[in-house]
Amino acid sequence: MSTNPFPLDKADLMKAYRTMRTIREFEERLHVEFAKGDIPGFVHLYAGEEACATGIMMHLTDVDRIASTHRGHGHCIAKGVDVHEMMAEIYGKATGACRGKGGSMHIADLAKGMMGANGILGAGAPLVCGAGLAAKFRGDGGVGITFFGDGASNQGMVLESMNLAAVWNLPVIFVVENNGYAESTSVDYATAVDSYVDRASGFGLPGVTVDGTDFFAVYEAAGEMIRRAREGGGPALLECKMVRFFGHFEGDAQTYKAKGENDYNREHRDCLKIFAARVREAGVVTADEFAAIDREVGALIEDAVASAKAAPLPSARDLTTDVYVAY
Amino acid sequence: MGPIVGIIANPVSARDIRRVVANAASLQIADRANIVLRVLAALAACGIEQVVMMPEHGGIRGHVMRGIERSRNQGETRFPHVTHLDMPVTGTAEDSARAARLMHRAGVAAIVVLGGDGTHRAVVKECGRVPIAGISTGTNNAFPEHREPTITGLAAGLAATGRVPARVAFASNKRLDVAVGERPAEIALVDVAFVTDSYIGARALWRTETFRELFVTFADPEVIGMAAIAGLIEPVGRGEAGGMMVSLAPAATARTVLSAPIAPGLVVPVGIDDWRRMPAGIPFHPHLAAGSVALDGEREIFFDGREAVSVTLTADAFRTVNVPAVMQFAATHGLLRAGASLLATALA
Ligand SMILES: Cc1ncc(C[n+]2csc(CCOP(=O)(O)OP(=O)(O)O)c2C)c(N)n1
Ligand SMILES: [Mg+2]
Repeated sequence: MSTNPFPLDKADLMKAYRTMRTIREFEERLHVEFAKGDIPGFVHLYAGEEACATGIMMHLTDVDRIASTHRGHGHCIAKGVDVHEMMAEIYGKATGACRGKGGSMHIADLAKGMMGANGILGAGAPLVCGAGLAAKFRGDGGVGITFFGDGASNQGMVLESMNLAAVWNLPVIFVVENNGYAESTSVDYATAVDSYVDRASGFGLPGVTVDGTDFFAVYEAAGEMIRRAREGGGPALLECKMVRFFGHFEGDAQTYKAKGENDYNREHRDCLKIFAARVREAGVVTADEFAAIDREVGALIEDAVASAKAAPLPSARDLTTDVYVAY
Repeated sequence: MGPIVGIIANPVSARDIRRVVANAASLQIADRANIVLRVLAALAACGIEQVVMMPEHGGIRGHVMRGIERSRNQGETRFPHVTHLDMPVTGTAEDSARAARLMHRAGVAAIVVLGGDGTHRAVVKECGRVPIAGISTGTNNAFPEHREPTITGLAAGLAATGRVPARVAFASNKRLDVAVGERPAEIALVDVAFVTDSYIGARALWRTETFRELFVTFADPEVIGMAAIAGLIEPVGRGEAGGMMVSLAPAATARTVLSAPIAPGLVVPVGIDDWRRMPAGIPFHPHLAAGSVALDGEREIFFDGREAVSVTLTADAFRTVNVPAVMQFAATHGLLRAGASLLATALA
């Protein structure tokens, strides 16, 4: 077998693939299940964007904190939140990560450093400034990473947070997940700079734009930024240009997309396919090994859905629990 | 202790109306701070250990000090020790002048200046014989040459440490002295223009029909601004003796019309009546009875018929680091080659 040309060893390459495959399977399955009408609320699916969450989260441990978006399932899975608890949460069940009270847009798991998906666009940015400040005071080398979309990037609090992170030199990374649309509005229409790097430089932050469908591009750029931030080198911005396979939310007719756009993206810009092909062609992981992961992940998601469906709903008594937190 | 280098970085240059009336660019604060960091790294590479900067409230200081802190946190030693002058910050050109005066007094070996023609003018007023190394942070500057600041920093460092002899390292420059009645003398580094506008207003010059007389220390057809007018008629070098005087008129009535780039992206017809060389030391008196005087492209002084006005060219008025000469010397003498006497000489 040839030598490994990648910056990750075989075990980590398989881990990255397993994470991306888990996110994909989770989202594809939700797409089907949501249409059946059993899932309360909205779901926004991350399918197509897996390389971004995974390429970044491969550098993190539980001390590192992330703040996610309304499209947060991928971030949760990549950060290590339990898939069964996530699925149960989305179904609104008492066994969910937040006991069924949050749903898709509020999955959180502080033990895993996952500070929460967030229904308010851009709201994760100030949260990770807090996480970054805490890490800085504790001196634990932790970093805070916030994700936000091309649309959310125009929220005032995102810009305020970049300013704060810059002046306090916080170990914080701002990740713009630029999938080209905010609901149905294209980024070209709604964002007044042609690169988010220009925004970052207004605050004196270094910014990098990468192809977010290329796991290795994300992994490498994020690795440098995270290392720098851990060492006290300060905040940075990473823009990942990516595609989302589904609509904005489940049920979106996607009339704003070009004809054939989704098919083209699935054919040519699928981060999982691109990753698997490169790693297989380099002879590091075999097709059989990938197929085994696919089977394993398929069974995991199947079981997560089955147990979520079977789990009990919260009772009326649960209404008054978890309202306040004791410190 | 080794030589100290001063840095005067103006946070507010290149923000004027030329961004609206032409297509001048503006450089963000963070970019200015990056330039300072590049200069600092280059100075350190030449063995400069101490740098003193002008304080300002525009944000450069914060960015620079954070940049240094980040580098230090990462265990690097890329930058010299940086301190700031103890002086009040007014947010005007007076800060640059005061900083230059304090640096001169403190005996710095050279001053690196970031800004436009106006910033350089303020520094030259007060820096005496201390050589300056100019870096343009705008798109409409005639005085500072355009080049990568790292190179300017290296040249300033090599010159300041004495590793390049002074006769090679420093060039002498001409200056225009402007006297209006009893008012304090003013100077210009590149050009003095007399225009009919009787107000200072937005300062920049772009309405060519108001242009009447132009005096330049050098006339380079490659520069932008008022000096371009003279440069396109008859080039006069920075190091050449004497300057030039040009009589201007509205294009409709002038004897000749020239297309001149008077601001970035603004190439316009300029009426020319006459021109002649301007020897040093002889006062010239403009014909315009009332209007304003623009120094290095910006209206600064309003005058009327009651005041006597004169413009005089002064030779060898101030010194600059001759970047091409220093780098050439460094190359031919192997000053940046490994091993050599780099640190030994630098720290001697
Ligand atoms: C503050 C706020 N404004 C508006 C909304 C409604 N909203 C939900 S998602 C969305 C579009 C977000 O687009 P983008 O940030 O690009 O993320 P994407 O959905 O593409 O991942 C909008 C406008 C919201 N949730 N919060
Ligand atoms: Mg988007």
